[in-house]
Amino acid sequence: MGQLLKEKQRLNVKNSGTTCEIISFLGGGGQGEVYKGKLDGKEVAVKWYFPDYLNNDPGLRNRLENLIKNGAPNDRFLWPMDIVTSQDDSKSFGYIMELRESRFKSLNDLMKRKVEPKLHVLTIVGFELAFNFRELHTRGLCYRDISFGNVFFDPKNGEVRICDNDNVDVNGAEGAIGGTPKFMAPEIVRGEAKPTTSTDLFSLSVLLFYLLMSSHPLEGHNESQIHSFDLPAQRQLYGLNPIFIYDPQDKSNRPDPNVHTNAIECWPIYPKFLQEMFVRAFTEGLRNPESRIREGEWRKAFVRLRDCVYYCSNCGEENFRDFESTETVTCWSCKKPTKTPMSVVIEKNRIAITRDMKLYSHHIDRDSEFDFSKPQAEVARHPTDPNKWGIKNLSSTAWTATAPDGKELGIDPGRSISIVPGTKINFGNLEGEIIS
Amino acid sequence: MPLPGGELASRPLYFFWICDCSGSMSGQKIQSLNTAIRESIPEMKQVADDNPSGQILVRVLEFSSGAKWRNTQPIPVENFTWTDLVTSGETEMGRAFSMVAEQLKMPPMPERALPPVLVLVTDGRPTDDYKSGLNQIMSLPWGKKAVRIAIGIGGDCDFDVLEEFIGNSEIKPLQANNPEALTRYIKWASTAVVKDVSAPPSQPRGQGSVNVQIGQIPAASTDPDVW
Repeated sequence: MGQLLKEKQRLNVKNSGTTCEIISFLGGGGQGEVYKGKLDGKEVAVKWYFPDYLNNDPGLRNRLENLIKNGAPNDRFLWPMDIVTSQDDSKSFGYIMELRESRFKSLNDLMKRKVEPKLHVLTIVGFELAFNFRELHTRGLCYRDISFGNVFFDPKNGEVRICDNDNVDVNGAEGAIGGTPKFMAPEIVRGEAKPTTSTDLFSLSVLLFYLLMSSHPLEGHNESQIHSFDLPAQRQLYGLNPIFIYDPQDKSNRPDPNVHTNAIECWPIYPKFLQEMFVRAFTEGLRNPESRIREGEWRKAFVRLRDCVYYCSNCGEENFRDFESTETVTCWSCKKPTKTPMSVVIEKNRIAITRDMKLYSHHIDRDSEFDFSKPQAEVARHPTDPNKWGIKNLSSTAWTATAPDGKELGIDPGRSISIVPGTKINFGNLEGEIIS
Repeated sequence: MPLPGGELASRPLYFFWICDCSGSMSGQKIQSLNTAIRESIPEMKQVADDNPSGQILVRVLEFSSGAKWRNTQPIPVENFTWTDLVTSGETEMGRAFSMVAEQLKMPPMPERALPPVLVLVTDGRPTDDYKSGLNQIMSLPWGKKAVRIAIGIGGDCDFDVLEEFIGNSEIKPLQANNPEALTRYIKWASTAVVKDVSAPPSQPRGQGSVNVQIGQIPAASTDPDVW
């Protein structure tokens, strides 16, 4: 067990008026300890604060009560549900939240390669992070501590859970926390600013860079020259003289081939549009908080990145096709040139055709929002001829297609059209074309 | 290999236990220390496990009449086990400091690392010239950069010496007057301090991910058809 609560100890649950029984210790952090508890027969997580910590964060109780009153932005947030107190210990309190399911792994696990999800899963994680932090920010709230330890994902499907929401507050409110080293915006490191939505955006960019590159955007030559990686060194690297490792103008901080091999291996595999976004995030965005990339832009970029995933024609490993480039992609895994995949072009979107390509409503309907729960089309094999592949209509409306020879074809829901380059498909208010 | 790159680049963190094994530590004191350190090891391993950017390496130096290293090489905390300390003799702390200083030179220390953590545990007063040993530590770049923690057991300890060892007015020597306090301090030094030096804490680890079988790449057809 931890130091603060005992097994079978019962805590009073403020709003519901019931009690919560402590079952086991889950882990400790800088602010308190987390336990598994039972509330109305359901397992929950209980965070209980160190009494000393409460002195440093006098606004905590009010903040939590407001968070509880207003509720979570959505199910991706393991949000405070109710306050708990103890008759045995009046010096502290805690809160109840949903228990994180074991299918969710931390980004630490990804950094240590204890989990190795597929690349397309990482694109979904990136999308989910951008989408959900946007949900938080549009409510006028600020997270203030975006980092590895607070974000979890399902390596199978990319779904995320955002934890440790007890620092969340109205943007601009006074708070006790500055953030986590390596994720803090330079102006916070220099002591010039407090966490805001704008500094959240910087931390999000760092998190997304870590997600794809397993390295830090500012750790290059300058980091490798540091002997003792202590606070003064970190202040220099992340605050006083931050330089992006792929800054196109200032090449002084490129990754050190002896140390930063991840950045060197990962950076070239991503399409130029994504590289350019990271360049903006860590050049202009480093110096000017107003120039930071907003979640909406990241969200679109990760959707686009997902559309670029295809399989190497030699080894079958996932790669990204940069459709703006005519150069052959060399597979990052087998190092052989890959065959460019066919694709479907629908207005600005271009989606690589792979055995598991899916089209979603935002692809085929101009007026639709992102909704990945219901694919509208997928690649399917002919039921009797396994060499024949098609695009299957999973939507509820019929499409029409024009074959390269001009022949008109109807594609009813549940039916498929052969993948023939030059074929045009009319989805309703948008038209797509299969490109070889 | 579904992902390019590998584990996040990390820096080593050298963690030194510098333990007083003089005659006065006999009995309950040394047994409490053995128990406290042994109990702290799983939590120290957890800290290492949760931390992608630091690699913790442990060294143990025991001193009494003379001093000796428990292992010739630093041990990664994942493989670290504790063997009980036994007591006899004087409190040659100066000798211990000199030997620590030898190990803080480059090499054997690498040029790139996290600041080393030195934890001194003692119940007495140095019986040799501790100042020259301490000066040797403080003359080295890694000695100056090291986070130095001191735990004094009981009231007979020379806390002035411990303060001198720490050399930082913001960190006070810890006085452990009972086994509970000793356990708490040992745990703090081996977990919270290590976290502070290396990286902030996070959550329990997970295990393996999906392994998708390589399938065929859809090929182009030649005949337009709807089925």
